[in-house]
Amino acid sequence: MSSSALVPQVPSGGFNFSNYQRNVSLCASGFPAPKTTKTGTTIVGCIFGSREDIGVCLGADTRATSGNIVADKNCEKIHRIAERIYCCGAGTAADTEFTTKKIESQLELLKLNLGREVPVVVANRLIKQLLFRHQGHISAALVLGGVDNNGAHIYCIYPHGSTDRLPYATMGSGSLAAMSVFEGGWKDNMTEAEATKLVRDAIAAGITNDLGSGSNVDINIIRKNLPKPVIMRNMEIIGVKGERMGDYTYPKGTTKVLKTEVIPIKVEDEVVERMDTDQD
Amino acid sequence: MALSMMESNNRLIYNDAGQGPVQHQFSPYTDNGGSIVAIGGPGFAIIASDTRLTSGFAIYTREQGKLHSLTNAAVLGASGCWCDVLSLTRLIQARMKLYKHEHQKDMSAAALAQMLSTMLYGRRFFPYYVSNVIAGLDEEGNGVVYSYDPVGHCDKNMYHAGGSSGALLQPLLDSQIGLKNMAIKPTAPLTVEKALQITKDVFTSAAERDIKCGDGVIIRIITKDGIREETFKLRFD
Amino acid sequence: MISQRFANLGVEQGAGVSGTKKSATRDMPDWMSAEHSTGTTIMACEFDGGVVIGADTRTTTGMYVANRVTDKLTRVTDRIYCCRSGSAADTQAIADIVSYHLEFHEIESGEPALVRGAAAVFQDMCYNYRDQLSAGIIVAGWDSRHGGQVYSVPIGGMLVRQEVCIGGSGSGFLYGFVDSNFRPKMSRDEAEKFVTSAVTLALNRDGSSGGCVRLGTITKDGIDRKVVLHNELPKFYEG
Repeated sequence: MSSSALVPQVPSGGFNFSNYQRNVSLCASGFPAPKTTKTGTTIVGCIFGSREDIGVCLGADTRATSGNIVADKNCEKIHRIAERIYCCGAGTAADTEFTTKKIESQLELLKLNLGREVPVVVANRLIKQLLFRHQGHISAALVLGGVDNNGAHIYCIYPHGSTDRLPYATMGSGSLAAMSVFEGGWKDNMTEAEATKLVRDAIAAGITNDLGSGSNVDINIIRKNLPKPVIMRNMEIIGVKGERMGDYTYPKGTTKVLKTEVIPIKVEDEVVERMDTDQD
Repeated sequence: MALSMMESNNRLIYNDAGQGPVQHQFSPYTDNGGSIVAIGGPGFAIIASDTRLTSGFAIYTREQGKLHSLTNAAVLGASGCWCDVLSLTRLIQARMKLYKHEHQKDMSAAALAQMLSTMLYGRRFFPYYVSNVIAGLDEEGNGVVYSYDPVGHCDKNMYHAGGSSGALLQPLLDSQIGLKNMAIKPTAPLTVEKALQITKDVFTSAAERDIKCGDGVIIRIITKDGIREETFKLRFD
Repeated sequence: MISQRFANLGVEQGAGVSGTKKSATRDMPDWMSAEHSTGTTIMACEFDGGVVIGADTRTTTGMYVANRVTDKLTRVTDRIYCCRSGSAADTQAIADIVSYHLEFHEIESGEPALVRGAAAVFQDMCYNYRDQLSAGIIVAGWDSRHGGQVYSVPIGGMLVRQEVCIGGSGSGFLYGFVDSNFRPKMSRDEAEKFVTSAVTLALNRDGSSGGCVRLGTITKDGIDRKVVLHNELPKFYEG
């Protein structure tokens, strides 16, 4: 498709590397690449129950950072992959967001083609192959959890494309704090309430002890015998917003007006075009 | 096209161990965080620090104040590389004792400020990685604030924010204490109460956005009657 | 000036793998970029009627044990398994691709794949992509033509058949033990005990190996898998 030099060319799909060489030379001459928003995170997942009454509980904090600054105090880190498959994301916010979105759409198409619910292993395979193809340059560290006809599953997926199937998993900068809670309190065949409590405690440990994690606890529960997941957004607020004592409103006129200029919009011509909206 | 070039640039040759050469680096510095805010006013000076000590994404302690009372009229706030803070403050204490024995009096805030500057510049090529702020009273008993860069440049102000939240808080102080860029300005002189309230509020704000700032704040209020201390809590996540 | 200075003096966190091909970026914490690797002990040993494969269960990211119950014995076909060492991502991807090729091959030929053939597919990948992979793989299994066989595909993509084969970082502690205790044509029980002892000795000495011992015995009847939990491991001198 050729286009005039005046018309911007719409990029085709996929990543665009056209500025790669330029950015390398900019980096070399001391102009560093801009900071990406990282979800220096605590995310966890665990399996509870047994046989027909099995389910997974996913948890995440809600802090997103850019260097030492909190970029978002209440972001969502538990992403939907399919009706009964969800995925917690840590790493570069954009990478986790777009990988999960991409896989969500692929799974939806696959579901329509197959005419049945897609199992969790498929989601795991698609994600790990995507991440492996990009050789670790997509910084998405994920905890994938869901239920299907084969039971409940938790997968830990690393940015380079390796995966682990585990009964309980933690990821992100707060993973050590959260894992210590799991290693201390995890039991086989927990009830939903016990699992929720454990996941809450694990995320709370990450929020309080890891600087990359903070604010609130988000929890999703997906059960085999329930058609829809239970989504508990901000189920607990751990980092409570501080209260300011003073009043910081400025009286009107505080900002000095230096110059006033009014530019009227001049209408030179008025054209009415009729558009053909019929769909043949 | 660009992709294939990138790969050929990154080509690696494996040795028998299956790894490329590993280069290790040692850095004598570490950033333990910490924020300082100091405000001087007529007849008083206040200085405050948060109480969180960090390393990377971990918290060492939630109750490490960063204020060091030097004399009855001067308090030093120091944050950054905590081991440098410890050795620098020890050295300051020693130099103050030498001064006292020689001159039979405590050092004035101005003298302390000048001494700290020379001490920092003495390590020009292996600096103390510390952000220093001195709050004290001058000869007339009014508040003064001295702030430093790591190699000894000294600024005399009426207010300063330093440490990890410094860049976050300084504009807020410029507005609230410095009353910069205002067509209508409050005319009443700054009171201790107002300064205290602003100090507490700026720390509350910093704790919202700076991950290294939190847990609590220690405030010291310096007046002609001596030094009074106050504390209050911040969010701990 | 101040801010610039502070930026330059910033801390660098323990970036474990700097210098290797996928090095940690300067101011990133370890977990974000450090490659997940199976600093491992793996081994395989032929016996009269099949092979025994064994591995520890530890996966590390720098200093952190990311998985203490890893399964490094990965199915390729019903009677061919591989033991993975090196980068977890690389070896998982290779194993997935090879098992895809062999399943296709088995459907086409209508009979179970040969171990030698499986090893050749592993070698093909490991050799052709040797610049981009860090994978040391042991391929072991049973086929009706040559019985139990063990093949080693180390980093670089060589292929060699061995009666007994050890791999991973823990193997350095094992050469003496294997040389003195391996005998050709052992019984199944002897071979299982030999592999269990060897992996136990290695995971006791090697910091990046640990956890339990996973065993797989492949004969004409398929695989028989066992786990020896950490508290059930054979006891050796612990001075």
